[in-house]
This record gives sequence, structure tokens and C-alpha cells, in this order.
Amino acid sequence: MLGAITYRRPLNLIAAFNIIGYLFLFFSDEPYNWMTLAVGGAATFIICSACLIIIKRNHGDEYLILIVSMLLSVGLMMIYRLDERLGLKQLVWIAVGLGLFFAFYHIYIKVDKWDRFAYVYIALSAVLYLVTLVLGRNINGAVNWIVIGGFSFQPSELCKILFVFFLASYFKNPDNLFLEKYIQDKRLRVLLNKVLLMLVAYCNIGFLVLQRELGTALLLFLTFLLVLYVFSKDLKLFLLNSAFIVPGVIFGYFMFYHLRVRVDAWLNPWADITNKGYQIAQSLFAIASGGFFGTGIGMGRPDMVPAVSTDFIFSAICEEMGIFGGVAVVLLCMLFTYRGIKIVLGLKDRFKKILGLGIVTMIGLQTFIIIGGVIKLIPLTGITLPFVSYGGSSLITSFIALGILQAISNPKFDRAGGEANG
Amino acid sequence: MDENRKIIQVLIAICSLFFIIVGYLTYIQLFRSRDFMANTYNRRQYKIEENTSRGNIYDRNGVLLAYSKLEGEEQERIYPYGALYSQVIGYSSKVYGKSQIEAAYNNELLGIDDLSQVFGMVSGSNYPTRKGNNLYLTIDHKLQALGGELLNGRKGAVVAMDPKTGEILALVSSPNFDPGAKKLEENWQSMVESEDAPFLCRAAQGLYAPGSTFKILITAAAIENGMENEVFEDNGSIIIDEREIRNSESKAYGKIDLKKALALSSNVVYAHLGTELGMGSFMDITNRTGFEKEIPFDIPMSKSRFPYESMDKTDLAEAAIGQGKVLVTPLHMAMITSGVANGGIMMEPVLVKSIAHAEGKSNKELKADKLGRIMESDVAEKIRVMMQEVVASGTGHNAAIKGISVAGKTGTAENELSVKKKAKEHSWFVGFAPAEDPKIAVAVIVEYGGSGSEAAVPIAKRIMSQYLSQ
Repeated sequence: MLGAITYRRPLNLIAAFNIIGYLFLFFSDEPYNWMTLAVGGAATFIICSACLIIIKRNHGDEYLILIVSMLLSVGLMMIYRLDERLGLKQLVWIAVGLGLFFAFYHIYIKVDKWDRFAYVYIALSAVLYLVTLVLGRNINGAVNWIVIGGFSFQPSELCKILFVFFLASYFKNPDNLFLEKYIQDKRLRVLLNKVLLMLVAYCNIGFLVLQRELGTALLLFLTFLLVLYVFSKDLKLFLLNSAFIVPGVIFGYFMFYHLRVRVDAWLNPWADITNKGYQIAQSLFAIASGGFFGTGIGMGRPDMVPAVSTDFIFSAICEEMGIFGGVAVVLLCMLFTYRGIKIVLGLKDRFKKILGLGIVTMIGLQTFIIIGGVIKLIPLTGITLPFVSYGGSSLITSFIALGILQAISNPKFDRAGGEANG
Repeated sequence: MDENRKIIQVLIAICSLFFIIVGYLTYIQLFRSRDFMANTYNRRQYKIEENTSRGNIYDRNGVLLAYSKLEGEEQERIYPYGALYSQVIGYSSKVYGKSQIEAAYNNELLGIDDLSQVFGMVSGSNYPTRKGNNLYLTIDHKLQALGGELLNGRKGAVVAMDPKTGEILALVSSPNFDPGAKKLEENWQSMVESEDAPFLCRAAQGLYAPGSTFKILITAAAIENGMENEVFEDNGSIIIDEREIRNSESKAYGKIDLKKALALSSNVVYAHLGTELGMGSFMDITNRTGFEKEIPFDIPMSKSRFPYESMDKTDLAEAAIGQGKVLVTPLHMAMITSGVANGGIMMEPVLVKSIAHAEGKSNKELKADKLGRIMESDVAEKIRVMMQEVVASGTGHNAAIKGISVAGKTGTAENELSVKKKAKEHSWFVGFAPAEDPKIAVAVIVEYGGSGSEAAVPIAKRIMSQYLSQ
């Protein structure tokens, strides 16, 4: 039994990180807050159990969940340290999310005819967007929340996954999705298919921009481009869509005030530091004050950064865990991408391959867009850091995506062609 | 398979993006973080300060020089001696930030040392009020107060230091200002714009032509070059490349040796010596004594200047009498004098003697390092004897203290106004006492005070006798 206690097992390191971290938080503040130990214990237990289930029951690739566990641990610890109430909620979200992760793992394998529902994905997205537009509440300047019985939810998060599913369905047999029965002329059908594909993609993006979800819009667009690059035989289509970036950005810059504000704040946050540049300046202050090794958890002042537990969680990590802590998070995301791509490379089923690539690139690019934003490398767009930021919608979406990726990674269920075996 | 090749390209692209993030983060930390931390909109510093009672500052004997008083919610920094320490301790204002010791020892005064950071005493708004650490300066309040009194509003500086330990005993600059928060706010704009530069710590940052006090260094170079026993002919003036250099009041001293030349401060002899020694000797001695070098000090200190690329004969002659492009700070001059007094070893100047932990746990004593040997001990010894002669029978005779042997050197430095006969020269004196076992070294400058013996010497004498009589 003692043999299990070794630093060579990644799971033990995750457990050790959690235990040491929460003990440190516990002892750093007098009078002692016993809730810290309770949350720490619960977090360690929940996260490690999830990993153990995946490892022991052989549910496909074990590294995905290990990497995610580490990200979850860092994020939860930080959120709990910033706001105990939020930390507790996040812990509940993690538990729910892990439940959904396993649920979707099984559902995905059970249903296994996902490539046939392309129209459902489009319809569902459309409904979600419309519902948001009609019932949406304005929270933090973005009309992207719907509130049902005091329970707020961000539908656009789900639309990301639906979009990837749609792309996978479309490219499984490229340019043959729509109008198969109606138009006999193959060339015309392919052309119309391409037009419809772009229509769906840009409608998605358009709705997101309308809801001021610039980050998600950018994310969707980049994912679309990458899938197009890899799976479309038509290089011209890819180049055409890439070329949309320039007029799209110029159009957006002059059409939308909030986009202009973001760009101005990125170019020179110091010019209007009390206003437009406030967030990004506070974020940079936090990062700078951490140094290479950080102030130590619980000892910085990341609470001065606005939206620190959601969009700016990375700044808080840099302040208290140092640049090294921040780089560790970046490298974890990179490992996740690497691991995900490795799984995708080995897949024979084309639908799963596209789906897998879409999910992996989406999570990877989301990480880049938000971290790049808070460190002023690129303009700031408000999206969450997957598995790290506070937020139910974001966590649940990420976990659903992870569940699907986990299912795909299980070689037992990978068959060329991907047709149901009946 | 073509698709897998493209997928790998996607992987490489995303990984490159992540590496760019890592690189950019490193860049921020290495090159930008200082700016960010110092940004006035960064509220971190103030947040910590709000729940910390800033430490007190004392002189070496425990005289309270600065403390904080809680006024309602706000802390107010009180300076009982007003302007006297404005350029040593500086100010601590919420609006204008901090200067001098208040800035340099901010973390210590707030109690943010490494230890408390590990145990998390700095963080959180829910912490009860903590006490910062107290500072003990090396300054002797009586000496500082006397220096301020003796300058009596005249522009200038008084520096006194212990030549053996490098401890600064007095660091007086004039004009100065009231560092209290309210006064600072009232007078800020006018002080910033004032031609008198009241914020300038003249003692450490004021750059002056050293005048004849520089002859101490030329004497060292001359002794090192074996010119110790040479006899010079002094006719009251000397012409070097069409530039006439004259003694004070054009007095002719006839045949004199080096000792006499220093005692009488003969410009003719030293101008001649300068041309004899040549540029190499100048570069050597100024290099050893710390010209053009950053000298580590607790508060900002200017580099003394010896900015010659090449020197013709006129340059050599002018530099030898401390004119031309040579510029020194009074503190540096005191350090050089201390070096001579200390057998040729120059000490690093220190302003803070110890840091006392708020709960009285342990005091952290700060000791000065040796900056290095500026001359051999036998050379220092010979100069000491010559500098005693200056006070015994030469230009510095007013510095003589009954029963104590004083060594010194006067200086009369030309300035931009004195050359036009619009004002008197700057008055210099450097010296130490007792000569056999130096306990105090001083450097005094009074701007537009006239000859060394006129203004600076009496101040130096009072400072030295006050300290030695304690």
C-alpha cells in the first residue's frame, strides 16, 4: 500500500499540491478558518476520485483528466482564496461538471450516431441565440445571459460545442451535407453546400458579436478556419475565409464602439488608465507585483483586479504564484493540446477526428485568447480560462467537451467509418 | 496522410502561441515590472500602508526624528524637526509618494521583510493594524542640528562622518523644505519650480568644483611619483599655454616645498605639478577615489565628475587646482578625506545604523563595507601631516581647536557668478580630527561664501569640536 506513495505518479502530485496549498491557506490566516480545510479535503477527494475512475476503469486516455485536474486545482484554490463563497460554489460546479463529464462520456458512446444530427445542431444553436436575444440579461456589458429562476446561464457556451459538432458532421463527407435529395447537379450542390456552411458559421459569429461575445466569436472563427484548413480539400475556401479577417476587423472596429474601446485599451492602456485602460492596467500591476515566484498564495492583492475570479484569474495566479505559476498553467494547457492532438492523430473515424480536433483547438485557442488578453499581448476579449476561471456555464461546457474527448480517446470505440454497428 | 500532417501543423501553431505567451510574460517581468510597480495608479502599496503603522525613525542616540500619528482613518507622518531632515529622511506623502530614506527603506518601515512575507502578514484587508520596523540612523541629531544652525539659511552642505566606519554623522543641506504632508501639498508647485532647488540634497547630489580641496589628491599623486621633497619656485602667478594661473591675492611665496605649498594652497605650485604629473596620474587617482563611479548609498547620490577624454596643459593645470571640469559632491569629498584619515582605506558611506523589529525581537545591524584602498598607508600618513600643517600654520588656521590636533584643507571654488565678479566664490573646507586617531571627518561647502577660511572653516571647527567634546 505504501508503494502508492510516490512522487512518480502524477495523481499523487496533484493530491500533494492540493493538500499543501490548502494547508498553507489555512495557516496563513488567523483565526483559523476550518472551512478552508473542508473545501481543501473535498476538492482533493473529488478531483482525485475522478482521475482514479478514469485510470482504474480504463476509460481511454488518462492524461487528459490529469492535466485538467491540475488546472482545476489551481483555479479552485485561487478562487477560494479570492472569495470563499465563490470558491464553495465553484467546488459544487466542479462536482456537477465532473458528473456531466462522466455522463457525456457514456452518452456519447451509447448514442454513437452523432454525425446524423447536423440540422439539430443548427436548430438548437439558433434557438439558444434567439432565446438569449429575447430573454437576455445584460451582465457586465454583454447581453449573453439568460436567467431562469435566479439561475443564470450563458447559452453561447453551449453553442461552441454545437458548432464543433456541426462542423464535424459537415466535413465527415465534405460538401455533401445539405440538399442531397433536391439538387442533382453535383457541382452546384457542392457550391451551395459551401455557401450554406459559411452562412451557418458567420451567423454563429454574427450572433455572438451582437451579444458582445467578442472572445467567443473570435474563438469560433479561428476554430472554423483551422477545421477548414485541415479537412477541406478546397484551399481557396480557406484562403477566402482567412481574407475575411481584415475587412471583418476594420468593419467591426468602426461599427462597434465596444470593440474600439478594447483596441484602444490594448494599444495604450496608460492613456486612459482610470477608464478604458483600467482593467488591463490593474492586471499588469498584479502580474508585475508577483515577480518570478509570486507573493505566495493569500498574500498578494489580486482582489484589486476587476473580474479577477473569471476573466482575470490568470493575473491573480501570476501575482500569487509568480510568473512560474503562470507559465505552469500555460504549459499545462499546451500539454493538454498536445495530448488531445495526439489522440486525434490516432483516430480512424473521420467524424471523431474532426470533432476531436475542434474541441482541442477550441480549448487551446480559448486559453491563448484570454491569457494573451490579460497580459496585453492581444486585445482583451472577455472569455474564461477553461477549467480555471470561475463560472458554471464555462465549466460545464468545458466538462461536456472533455467528456466527449474522453469518449473519443477510448480506442475500444474507434472504428473507421464510424457507422453504428447496430 | 495529408490531414494528419496538417493537424501537426495546427499543433505547432498553437504551441507557438503558447511559447509567445511565455516569452512575453518573461519580458514583462524582466523589463516592465519596475515601471508597473511604480505606477501611481497601482494601489498595492497604499493598501498595505493603510493597515500598517509606519515605523519610527531615530538618530543614533534614540532621538525621535519621524513618526506616524493616526488621525481619524488616515495616518499622518510627523517630522518633529521639520525641514532639518527633509533631504535625509525625505517625505512620505500619499499624493507625492516618498523620497530619500522613507523611500529606500519603505519595506522595512512597513515591516514587509522576507520573513513576514512567508508567514503572510502583509496580505488581506482583514488584518488588524500592524507595526512596521523602526530605523536607527547613523546621524547624530546634535551635530545635524548644529550644522543646520551654522549654515543659517545660506546655501550649502555640511557632511560629517566617522572615517573608520563610514557612518554619516551629519548630512545637512540648505535650502531645505518642510516635509510635512500639508506643507508639501501647499508648496509643491512653487518648490518644484524654485531655482533654489530645495528638493536637491546638496550634500549627496550637489555637484561643485572642489577648488583647492582637490589638491589633497594631487598631493597623493605627487608623493606617489616621488616629488615629495621637490622645492618649487612660486612667483605668485604662472602662465601655462597663455592661461595665467594666480595665487589667491597674487601672493608670491618664493621657494617652497610640497608641504608648504599645500599649507598655503599655492595655485602656482599645483598648476605646475599638474602639468608635470600628466593625464595618466590624474586618471589613476580619480579612478581610485571613485570619480565617475556609482557609490552605493542609502539615498540617491550623484557621481562625481572627471569627464576628460584628453587633457592639454591648461586642462591639467586647472584640474590640479580643482577647477575646470572637475565636479564633486560634498559627501564624496568627505569620503575622500575619511580615506586619508583612515590610513588610505575609503569606507562605504552608511546612513542607517540598525533596523529594530517592531516587537523588539532582534535588531538588524547594518555595517559598511570597505570601498577599497585609495592610497598606500604611508602616503596617507604623509598627507595627514601636511593637512595638519594647513591648520597649524596655513589657510585653515581658524579650524584649530584647543587641545586637539586638526587636519584639513580649505578650498575656494570659482563659480559661474564669481568669474563675472557678481558673487563670491564657493567656500570649502574638508578635515578630520583628532589627527592621530580620527573620530570625525567633515566636508563643508557654503555657496558664494567666499574663501574657505571665511565661511566653511568656522562651521567645520564647531562641528568637530562639538562632536569631540561629547
